[in-house]
Amino acid sequence: MFLTLDASDKRPIYQQIADGIKALIARGDLREGMVLPSVRQVSGDLGVNLNTIAVAYRQLQEDGFVTVRHGAGATVSARRGRPLSQEALLKTLRTALTEWILAGFSDREIAAAVRQELASARRKGEIL
Amino acid sequence: MTGPGYETLMLLCIGLIVPVRIYSLIRYAWNLPLRNGPGFFLGVEVPPGFYDAPRTSWLRRYHHVLLAEHAIEGCILTVLLALAKWQYVPMWAGGSAVLFVGTMFLFMAWTRHSLGAAPPVRPVALALKTRRLGDYISWPLEALAAALVAFSWWLLLRYGGTHVDLLNPLEMTWIVLGLLPGKIVTVRSSWPLPVERTEEHYQCQDAARRNGVRTLDAFGWFFAIILLGYALRHGGPSTSSLPGLIWLIAGAALATMIYLMATVFQGQRQMARMGRDLRPAGSWATPFRGASWLSRPGLIWFAVWFGGILVFLLYSLL
Repeated sequence: MFLTLDASDKRPIYQQIADGIKALIARGDLREGMVLPSVRQVSGDLGVNLNTIAVAYRQLQEDGFVTVRHGAGATVSARRGRPLSQEALLKTLRTALTEWILAGFSDREIAAAVRQELASARRKGEIL
Repeated sequence: MTGPGYETLMLLCIGLIVPVRIYSLIRYAWNLPLRNGPGFFLGVEVPPGFYDAPRTSWLRRYHHVLLAEHAIEGCILTVLLALAKWQYVPMWAGGSAVLFVGTMFLFMAWTRHSLGAAPPVRPVALALKTRRLGDYISWPLEALAAALVAFSWWLLLRYGGTHVDLLNPLEMTWIVLGLLPGKIVTVRSSWPLPVERTEEHYQCQDAARRNGVRTLDAFGWFFAIILLGYALRHGGPSTSSLPGLIWLIAGAALATMIYLMATVFQGQRQMARMGRDLRPAGSWATPFRGASWLSRPGLIWFAVWFGGILVFLLYSLL
């Protein structure tokens, strides 16, 4: 199971890692009870600072997706994170849609992209 | 029945080392730069047509260096055999290994400096698989090797007397015990994974890691047995009363040596097969990490361990 990280991505590395792990949890690739590699291993593999990975794991823990225990590493604890209000979720969707509209995409293209991403996120046929 | 004489043991060693070195030279070392295909030279990405310039061919330079290194080893051995200087054979064996590794290391560093100064930067993949030391290193076997070393020293210090030269056992102890940090570094080290054919690159890296640990294991056991043999010969019960024991130790060392060679060659074959069409480690840089063919902890361990062996060799020459 792999995550892809790209320097051209505007998000910081810790955010890319946290988002990537969330996506794997959403798709069912990472299941409850599965152990994630240690902060030290990930930072060594990527060649980034320990704190960068620690921040990503901490964010996942705060969102309720993983449990971090000292010495035992991080374990996937839930497929659903901390519940967010519909209004909060709509805010991120509106921001993303604005970016697409400003980039010149038509409504049809945006809808097709959303459908494709949704299908990809649910590709294992599991209900979130 | 008596135990083998020193000359017999040295001749056995030479009879094993020389064919293995020749086989290794022909079968593996000669075509090592081309292991990843014509797009690479010793793990450095090269432009198309790189191998078409015969006059300045890097491959030719590599072959010259390789032949020169082997010629030096061969000349020294010929002199030792002609003068029947059997006591220098272990030093020749160790010195040859140091010379070979050192030469290859310097040539690779030169290649990377000259050809790989600006490696391409690519997106990187991260494996979410946990690596634990216990999955690669057998702790009971490590404890057994350490116990064997301790037992050898107990024999030497308890029964060896003052006439026994402790430099050799000290060197062998350094080699055996110094390998454990090397194994830990091998397990913990990794190279960036490209986003294309990530699973295959991951499997190849993992196989390289396992091969590395297995080779270091066999290397360590070989020297642990040699150390035990040395301790039994110099500090143990009278060898004349136990002539079979020395044969037994010699046989065990020989078997370990054969296992070591088999492990190395099998590993080379596996790596050549798995890595044929893959991007070699150190041929590209990630946005977060430069292109390096040795991890920093690996380099530090190797410098300390190998430097220690070099110091022992130089000290014994003085």
